[in-house]
Amino acid sequence: MDEWKPNPAVKPHKKRSWYLAWKYKLMNQRALRKLCQTGAVLFLLVTVIVNIKLILDTRKAAYEEEEESAQDYDDEMLNVEVPRHPVSNKKVLDVEVYSSRSKVYVAVDGTTVLEDEAREQGRGIHVIVLNQATGHVMAKRVFDTYSPHEDEAMVLFLNMVARGRILIFTIKDEGSFHLKDTAKNVLKSLGSQVAPFLSWRDMWTFVGKKGGEVYGEKHAKSPALSTWGDPVLLKTEVHLTSVEDAECHWPDTELNRRRKRFCSKVEGYGSVCSCKDPTPIEFNPDPLKDNKVFDVPVAVIAGNRPNYLYRMLRSLLSAQGVNPQMITVFIDGYYEEPMDVVELFGLSGIQHTPISIKNARVSQHYKASLTATFNLFPDAKFAVVLEEDLDISIDFFSFLSQSIHLLEEDESLYCISAWNDQGYEHTAEDPSLLYRVETMPGLGWVLRKTLYKDELEPKWPTPEKLWDWDMWMRMPEQRKGRECIIPDISRSYHFGIVGLNMNGYFHEAYFKKHKFNTVPNVQLKNVESLRKDAYETEIHRLLGEAEVLDHSKNPCEDSFVPDTEGRVYVMFIRMEQEADFTTWTQLAKCLHIWDLDVRGNHKGLWRLFRKKNHFLVVGVPASPYSSKKPSSVTPVYMEPPAKEEGAVAVPAVAAAEQT
Amino acid sequence: MQKINKNVVLALLSLTSLVFLLFQLYYYKFYLSQKNGAVFSKVRGSQSGQDSTRWHVVRKFLGLISSHNIPVYLIDPLILGLVDKDIEQIRSSPDGPSPECKYFCAPRDFTTFALLDKTWKHEVGLFRTAEKMGFQWLKIINKDPRLDGMDDLSGIEIPLHYIFKLASHAIHLVIFYERSGNYLWHGPLRLKQHMDRKFVPFRKLHFGRYPGAYEKPELLLVSIDDLKVQIPKNPSSFLEEMSHSRFLECRYREARAFFQLYPDDASLDAVEFRKKAKSLLHLAALTLNNLGVKFWLSSGTCLGWYRQCNVIPHSKDVDLGVFIRDYKADIIPAFQKAGLPLKHKFGKVEDSLELSFQGEDDVKLDIFFFYEEDDHIWNGGTQAKSGKKFKYLFPKFTLCWTEFIELKVQVPCETLQYVEANYGPDWKVPVKTWDWKSSPSNVQYNGVWPVDEWDDVIQIY
Repeated sequence: MDEWKPNPAVKPHKKRSWYLAWKYKLMNQRALRKLCQTGAVLFLLVTVIVNIKLILDTRKAAYEEEEESAQDYDDEMLNVEVPRHPVSNKKVLDVEVYSSRSKVYVAVDGTTVLEDEAREQGRGIHVIVLNQATGHVMAKRVFDTYSPHEDEAMVLFLNMVARGRILIFTIKDEGSFHLKDTAKNVLKSLGSQVAPFLSWRDMWTFVGKKGGEVYGEKHAKSPALSTWGDPVLLKTEVHLTSVEDAECHWPDTELNRRRKRFCSKVEGYGSVCSCKDPTPIEFNPDPLKDNKVFDVPVAVIAGNRPNYLYRMLRSLLSAQGVNPQMITVFIDGYYEEPMDVVELFGLSGIQHTPISIKNARVSQHYKASLTATFNLFPDAKFAVVLEEDLDISIDFFSFLSQSIHLLEEDESLYCISAWNDQGYEHTAEDPSLLYRVETMPGLGWVLRKTLYKDELEPKWPTPEKLWDWDMWMRMPEQRKGRECIIPDISRSYHFGIVGLNMNGYFHEAYFKKHKFNTVPNVQLKNVESLRKDAYETEIHRLLGEAEVLDHSKNPCEDSFVPDTEGRVYVMFIRMEQEADFTTWTQLAKCLHIWDLDVRGNHKGLWRLFRKKNHFLVVGVPASPYSSKKPSSVTPVYMEPPAKEEGAVAVPAVAAAEQT
Repeated sequence: MQKINKNVVLALLSLTSLVFLLFQLYYYKFYLSQKNGAVFSKVRGSQSGQDSTRWHVVRKFLGLISSHNIPVYLIDPLILGLVDKDIEQIRSSPDGPSPECKYFCAPRDFTTFALLDKTWKHEVGLFRTAEKMGFQWLKIINKDPRLDGMDDLSGIEIPLHYIFKLASHAIHLVIFYERSGNYLWHGPLRLKQHMDRKFVPFRKLHFGRYPGAYEKPELLLVSIDDLKVQIPKNPSSFLEEMSHSRFLECRYREARAFFQLYPDDASLDAVEFRKKAKSLLHLAALTLNNLGVKFWLSSGTCLGWYRQCNVIPHSKDVDLGVFIRDYKADIIPAFQKAGLPLKHKFGKVEDSLELSFQGEDDVKLDIFFFYEEDDHIWNGGTQAKSGKKFKYLFPKFTLCWTEFIELKVQVPCETLQYVEANYGPDWKVPVKTWDWKSSPSNVQYNGVWPVDEWDDVIQIY
């Protein structure tokens, strides 16, 4: 081999020669070479095995992981994502509007968004507001412009609607009788040709953009006073705009995001959606010093009156010492708009499937709301219960903070209420004064948890009992002789005029002139003297200093009370036994205060103000305070007017209503 | 020829190994990006005892939450376990700088913190800041159990868990809710369908497999590894609590269905009895808890919980179970002190012990003591006039927390087996006449007490 020489001529052997040379070199250290080879083979084999194992291991781990997470951590309820309504890129909406004596309907792209053919209901002008970019219904209203003042409400509403929105009008039955010129002019300014000439029992439909084009209008004149115009059906097309054009450009903050979400969904809330100068949705009222009700949950009981809820929450969130985290709004039913209002203010809301009907439905809603409140705030000893049609006084929480310890310590108390049934403009005077009364006024009140859990909840009226929860709570079986603390000047104001037991007339007569405190930080006096025994001492002191009025005069006349200020007067009326309220009811009637049932009494004593004087009325002989009556005085007796009494007594149930 | 073959093998092997090497590299990269190297944590852990990533992530997280004034506290069992060993030293020097990173540097995938729901306002701002800091976060929401017991309420889903992930470390934030019965509750961690299952290795989390119930902890601000953090004041008792914290929700839906079939008794008597039974149970729970005696709802009271989430109004007494190993001689005096005199005592500690206390007007509190055998658990009964003994057999069970009439109490986790053992397969049907000696389906005759022992094993007051 030593002589071997490479042969350059043999080309294919060139590589081989290099290989051979290398081989030749190693030949000399055969042992070493063998060792290296075996080592390399071994090493490579090990590497391969380790690698295969590694792959198998990771596979297995990954597999197990999926398996386990599937077993333990999967939500058992398969939340199959329902695809939302496909975003239609259609730029045109087909709108159909129908107006007739007994039926109206509005259909947008084939979907009925309004249909009303109920008898004796829904009379007047129906208005629907659509979002000009999405075509979604943002508001639905009906204004009974056959009746007075409804046209003013309609003007107010139309003015609140943002420019660019699509408005749809249709008349059911009659819509012109109290449609005044102002309203007609507003309709005219929206582009209606017919509105100024609308007359008795005309049928009318109109579709237009606020501050822009008119998409269509149809009108059928009533041929005679006794007949209606022919039904009209308007079919038209509405062109949609882009989303950007339909929104305001507020600075991008958390609050404005909420606002934007709200304003793109609903209409009719006025300046909260104003592009230029939106009204705030966060209020930051002054905190209260030493606030004893900061941790007390607030339950707001609501139905489907979102505009009321909006007004109510504004006043609630503006009250000093409010703690928004403790507020929960309970909505009776799956209504979207009230929930939108709740979310606008960043509060939490809970919807409740309606159970039963009418009063029982309200009762069940109350029960669910109260139970939920105490479940959500297990630490709470009390809950504040509010309704969606109340304004809340600026010192509401201050009032409660100063008095709540009484409810904790005095077993003879049933509740603290912000409402004085007899506190009208002309009968309430002193914001720092509190009373004890045997009735349960409701309308903004504090409930003790033990009372609810131990007594009320277990025997709450069942759904089939059509009872009002508040009437039930006032029954002696529940109240057991306990009393409520109320202020002289109410800390809530009942503004609702639409409701289950409520109508405009009733509201005007009994609620409109109610006095409502607007003074912040009122320092309550005599809080300690409201305890059971102390209050008796207080009453005796008061009766001791009171001047007896001239019982020969007519107590209904203004002159019955002298023209003084700040004095204490007492009068005695006849009250044969504890339940004899004949004279009191007549007196209440002529004083224009609550006379539908007996409210605000404490052991046959009523306390109110007349001409800025404290005015006490004692029922003799039933009241234990009868002993204060000078023997010379004959208690006043007033006879109820014959008959008609029965007719008035019916709405007595209305009391502290809500829907 | 042979030599060439060897070389071919050599070349082939090198090629394969090269391929595998590449493959391995690819795999490693893949896992690093997908799982933050979670799968390799063991390997990494054994290689280095220290991992400053975790410390940095925890520090960033603590900075984030303190900038939003959110009072979280540490509940990571592994760290608390370490902390517990040095608790005296940590307590005594709350501010001292630590010489080495002892707690937050052990390489783990998670660090677990807790947050009390009511101390936080759910501001969205937190998440925006977190994102700016580089955290990815995941929120796990579910139905609010506090409203579960109620008819048809909806609208509230509450956050139960948050996971904040940064680099290879994740912070698991468990939200605790206060519930009726003065305790804290955290929810289970369940992923909805659209969620990222690989966000973190969920099965390794210490909290979330089951819901849990805890006492409200006292907190202590400490400085460990130069991080200021709140921990439960007594880590060892927290860890002990954690080991048996599993919570069972009452079966509200089934209870509603039950009441559809058998309308609830709303008579005044029923209301009164429930009220008394509730206050008796509250008093008994208070007394036993003060003594440190573990107990659970047994017999009719357990059935009431399981079947209708309430006291059965015709049951006439309150029944509790206690393991005989937890028996304390102080039980009787403690109840007497609480105003519940002993009514009778049957059996003895070694056999068939049963105590009855007299509550307000005829409502009786029965405490049955349970004896554990290899494959079953039993308690005994004694007929006073004949001295006959009875034995009630149950399959083995563990204890879970639940909420019952505003009280946090324990029940057998395997409740169905327990109830079925006691009441048979027809436990869903209310029965008004019940004979404790013959009605239960698990009763066995167990002989007669020897007459000379009667004075001791049958005591009636």
